[in-house]
Amino acid sequence: MSDPIISMTKLTQVFDGVTAVDALSIEIGRGEVFGFLGHNGAGKTTTIQMLTTLARPVSGTARVAGHDIRTNPLSVRRSIGYVPENVRLYDTLTATENLVFFARLSGVNTPHTRVAEVLDLLDCTYLAHKRVGGFSKGMRQRVGLAQAILHRPAVLFLDEPTSGLDPMGIKLLRDLIGRLNGEFGITIFMNTHLLSEIAKTCTSIAVLSHGKLVYHDRIDAVTARYGDDAALEELYLSLTPIGRLAEIA
Amino acid sequence: MMAADMSPGLFVASHSVRLVLRERTVALLCGMFAVLVLISAWLGWSATATVNRIYIDAAAFLKAAGQPVPSNPVLDVSPLSLMRNMSVYVALIGALSAIVIGNRLISLDRKAGVLPLIGVRPLSQNAYAGGKIAALVWLILTLGLVAGCVAVATFLMLPAVTLTAAQWGQLTGFMALSMLYMGIFGLAGLAAGAWARSETVGLLLPVTLWLTLTFIFPQLTANLSPTAAINPVSALMNPPDTVFFHWAAQILGPVSLADAYKFAAAGLLDYLPPGTASPSAIPPIATLILAAAGATVLAWRALTGLTMTTGDYDV
Repeated sequence: MSDPIISMTKLTQVFDGVTAVDALSIEIGRGEVFGFLGHNGAGKTTTIQMLTTLARPVSGTARVAGHDIRTNPLSVRRSIGYVPENVRLYDTLTATENLVFFARLSGVNTPHTRVAEVLDLLDCTYLAHKRVGGFSKGMRQRVGLAQAILHRPAVLFLDEPTSGLDPMGIKLLRDLIGRLNGEFGITIFMNTHLLSEIAKTCTSIAVLSHGKLVYHDRIDAVTARYGDDAALEELYLSLTPIGRLAEIA
Repeated sequence: MMAADMSPGLFVASHSVRLVLRERTVALLCGMFAVLVLISAWLGWSATATVNRIYIDAAAFLKAAGQPVPSNPVLDVSPLSLMRNMSVYVALIGALSAIVIGNRLISLDRKAGVLPLIGVRPLSQNAYAGGKIAALVWLILTLGLVAGCVAVATFLMLPAVTLTAAQWGQLTGFMALSMLYMGIFGLAGLAAGAWARSETVGLLLPVTLWLTLTFIFPQLTANLSPTAAINPVSALMNPPDTVFFHWAAQILGPVSLADAYKFAAAGLLDYLPPGTASPSAIPPIATLILAAAGATVLAWRALTGLTMTTGDYDV
């Protein structure tokens, strides 16, 4: 790949003697929407935590937006946005108060103006002065997405962004991801379980099983080879432990 | 200050201060501290003003009767000693307020679950820790200044009492000492709040420390009667002349912070009886400074060692 924006080299993480991520090497191109698939406990969130510099790998390294996660974590953080699986915010503050705080921490010069812009971009200006404590999962997800793009990051990490959302919420989020990628050129790195979303949203995918990379390809190659969602599911199951169990049975 | 000019650590500090000030428990405790300080000042003022009024009447009567007029008893004692009760309230409610403030400074972030969102911002964990400690210092200074203003107002309102420049200096020293003392407990609250896996343990640990230092150690190091912790005068009594109390004072004295504080406060507020020696092997001020340094190191280590991936409490 000529211009990878994320480049992992034998990235490894171990917790209490258990290898959570095992020598992961992947390159992701600028402007891609990358879908990271895997069963529960496969190591997807751990990978995101290392790439976002929240956790330090035990060995190997990665470069994000040209910066090494080990030697230059602060520069990595200036280039990324992160939305965790369960977006948690200060419940006693309003959406704007929360966002202004995160904007300031990210070095945004005019935080109030930028917060208003981002809320408008995400069609949730009506949430601006409401306390986050009363928000639904979908509303939180939107404010979570807002806090991640306040500083115009080059890469956006989304950890199970559709988890717990209703079909309407999933569609709205998919549209937003599409806009952020299409209009602003933000590279998206997305952990997900939803195979149906992969084909609709992603430009490339990788499958992780027990910390090891078992599949990585462009989505057009995948769809050309496997056709529809059902075939994609078949591919996924064949690569994950459940699939292997079925094989044994 | 413009947003761009302010360091991320200062943003953390100012944001934390705002969050903590919205907390009802903190507001209640700090309000209670301020009220008690006000009451202690009023009691000192009222007692002195009453004695002074009686003296003026008595002096006028004696003068009219051609009798010799004795000196005004109000002027026989240092006016600073009117503030002696304040040291008790600092050791009790002031230290407890500081613990709650320290705990809330970190527990609000942990409970909210925002540590991962802070952890991916371009600020180091040192800046985060520095911001939290700066917020604590700011809040303790505010608490101390409130108490200081009450003390100053009391002295300015007493007609018979005037403080010399040296006494104003002593009063300033006492306020600084009180802030240092409350700061130690605030840092303990901060450290425990960051270190503990459960929110309850994070609060119980420093409260237990406070109870031990305020109510148990003084019994062994300064021979306090059961009510001594709420009585500043008995804190100045020497331990009985027995081997047990001698060794207890020697061993526990250097860590008996409440004793050290009350002893140093008595010196600054001029109510330390002449010739009274500290039961501790090291000077009380040194004890407090060492404790503050130790608490700062503990808080710093707990904050910089905080796991930013989740950081939430287990329970």
